Amino acid sequence: MTSFFIKRLLLLIPVFLAVSMVIFAIVHLVPGDPIDNLLSVNSSPEQKAELVARYGLDKPLWQQYAIWLGKAVQGDLGDAIILKRPVADLIAMNLPHSLALGGFALIFSTVVGIAAGAFSAINKNGWIDRITMTMILLGSTVPSFWLGLLMIMLFAVQLGWFPVSGARSWDALVLPVLTIGLGGVALVARVTRVAMIETERRDFVMMLHAKGVPPRQIALRHVLRHALQPVITILSLRIGWILGGAVTVEFVFARPGLGSLLITALNQRDYPVVQGSLLMLAIAVMLGTLLGDVLQAVMDPRVRERIT
Amino acid sequence: MRYTITSLLLAGSILVPASFVAFAASAQEATFVMPTVDVGAPSYDPIRGSKLNAATTLIYDRMVIQDADQSFHGQLATEWSSTEDGMSWTFKLRPGVTFHDGEPFNAATIAWWVPKFAGTENEFMTSAIASVEAVDDLTVKFTMKNPDPNLLSNMASSFMGIPSPKAYDAAGDSYGITTAVGSGPFKLESFTVGQETVLVANEAYAWASDLSVNQGPPLIKKLTIREIAEDSTAFLELSTGGVDMLMSVPTDFLPRLEAAENVTVGQLPGTGIFYMPINTSVTPFDDIKVREAAALAINQKEILENIFGGIGAEAHNFLIGSLLESKVDPALNISYNPDRANMLLDEAGWVMGSDGVRAKDGVALQVALWTQNGTEFKRVTEVIQAELKAVGIGADITIFDSATINDQYRKGTEHQLAVRNYSWANSDIIDWFFSGQRLGYPNVSMWNDPKAEALNAVAMKESRTWEERVANFTAYHEYVLSQFVFAPIYEPVQVYAYDNKITVPETIRGTRLQSQTIVDIAVN
Repeated sequence: MTSFFIKRLLLLIPVFLAVSMVIFAIVHLVPGDPIDNLLSVNSSPEQKAELVARYGLDKPLWQQYAIWLGKAVQGDLGDAIILKRPVADLIAMNLPHSLALGGFALIFSTVVGIAAGAFSAINKNGWIDRITMTMILLGSTVPSFWLGLLMIMLFAVQLGWFPVSGARSWDALVLPVLTIGLGGVALVARVTRVAMIETERRDFVMMLHAKGVPPRQIALRHVLRHALQPVITILSLRIGWILGGAVTVEFVFARPGLGSLLITALNQRDYPVVQGSLLMLAIAVMLGTLLGDVLQAVMDPRVRERIT
Repeated sequence: MRYTITSLLLAGSILVPASFVAFAASAQEATFVMPTVDVGAPSYDPIRGSKLNAATTLIYDRMVIQDADQSFHGQLATEWSSTEDGMSWTFKLRPGVTFHDGEPFNAATIAWWVPKFAGTENEFMTSAIASVEAVDDLTVKFTMKNPDPNLLSNMASSFMGIPSPKAYDAAGDSYGITTAVGSGPFKLESFTVGQETVLVANEAYAWASDLSVNQGPPLIKKLTIREIAEDSTAFLELSTGGVDMLMSVPTDFLPRLEAAENVTVGQLPGTGIFYMPINTSVTPFDDIKVREAAALAINQKEILENIFGGIGAEAHNFLIGSLLESKVDPALNISYNPDRANMLLDEAGWVMGSDGVRAKDGVALQVALWTQNGTEFKRVTEVIQAELKAVGIGADITIFDSATINDQYRKGTEHQLAVRNYSWANSDIIDWFFSGQRLGYPNVSMWNDPKAEALNAVAMKESRTWEERVANFTAYHEYVLSQFVFAPIYEPVQVYAYDNKITVPETIRGTRLQSQTIVDIAVN
């Protein structure tokens, strides 16, 4: 098990290097002089010279990459052009909010999704199944922006249970988490349902029925474990998306976060911030898939064997 | 569970004073929401900053404050005078003023402050000052390079709030982000860009101008100013009591706010104009006929009524109605006239095509129409696109972020039309946006006309008195109008709304909701 984990971790390194090369190249691929892309428009020649010295911008490209990567690994991601603060500070301010929002939303969509999917699969084609699936479909097709405003109007304005916006208290997390989570439930529920229905057709399930194991126990203890395989794969891919894709929800609820930081920086052509945010999101996706793989290995010995 | 009556009474009696303390502590706190145009302002550095938000005047005091009737009231300056030829100004400073870090405010501060503008974007505010002399501790004398009757008006702007020299120099480049030290009624406790600014009352404050009733520290002890980019969210926060005041409200929400019982709505005259600059340096707008046609295609009334609900006013020239220099020769005001627009385009040789877009020598009259992010901008730009199409000009819309669109304009050749606004209550805004010295941005029209430059020089540098200045700027304004380098669209009013749990003075003094009013706001 440990060797699997270590091998999997080592495989991350080439992936990380490849992604970091692309992120580094952004400043050079975008039209314009890379130096101008890293400075504000009315900068003095001294500021330009200082930047050139700091990043070795007059050296060959591969050396520049090495310098940039070296600094990034140590935590120095450069300075934001518009906001004039170190990028690492900006990310440190926004990351906890994104992690909290994304983490809880993920947990919510996992738990509710799997429960709904399992529930539907057990009562397959019954009226409960159809109603649950329809409601889930509605919840996922409604745009998150609109759903967020509806949530505010119902739970914050009419009922007054939660604050309208901001990130100043823990209960301000509830409505944004519900908004994002409801969108994620659909995929998880459907995949769970399909996987469970497929697993139920297998021989070992017939044998369990023959042995006289109660149907509910078969469904929840045996079939679900197998059905969770594809679900975990999907969830591990969604981790990165959830961290960066919460932009509209962050906008509506006036919350800070990595997603809005990235979008604002893109609009403002603030490339150091763009690079830093993309690096964070890439790391999040990689760690997410690593976690997914590890969980799968824990659950399924065949995965463990395959890699060794 | 059994409790004796005594123990219950004891528990209750502890709760009562505790709740009073909590109530009293929270009673002096308020939360405001700043105008959406101010969201994302990167720092509180008035000298180097290009974008400042509404909380700036709470942290920094200015030398003078301008009232709605154009008069000036002293804040850090108590008296001022200039010589007849305008080449020298003398200011008497208020005694006993200290900055939040304890440093004193005196003539030495001014002598440090004025030269600091050199090399910054805001240099134009002090560029007429040749030298500053500290006559004594509380008197300064400016010797001017040329007369500047606009000096007082500039000094009333939030960009001329005075920071503490010691704190400013000590913080270097990060001044305004982690620390901002002024002499204003509120001290900066924390600043999270794009989220909120937390201010605490400056208990040593005793130098409010005569525009404020309260001459001591502000009545609100802790003021949080939140930045909420989504207008609906801000409106819902006010409706539920989550915030106490919206410093600026979009016109869409007015009917609902006026109907709400716990909310009061107020209006202030506008301080800016929505307009469409026309790039005179690229085809087809290097032809004045095409420029005039584009300008005459704009239907100001339609935009006022349909997008802004009839609130505000149509704009027919470049200045707000309260300025004397906006009273130009009525024949030069630019108004909707589609027949004349069509006639001019026909004269210029642009023939109407079958798809509704004109063409000349095989080139279609299709232009780039830029605008910045924001609901109102997008709506106005879409209407303008349709109005231009009605006279045969096809327009492609591109939306930019407000913080970077200025850099895009500086490239000079990629835009042809744009929808913008400005917020400035002085006629020298004509110089700012149309001077040949500032091509690209702010001179988005890329206009460099010798006659205009001559009129500009006279207006900016050779006006010795306020009356001369008005006359010279009116002449400059009239010439600008006659060349159709822009099209006026709309003059907004400032609308604000607050929860009745705070008391706001009946009349707002000054031209905007700033420190002179906020020190008088109390929590009920």
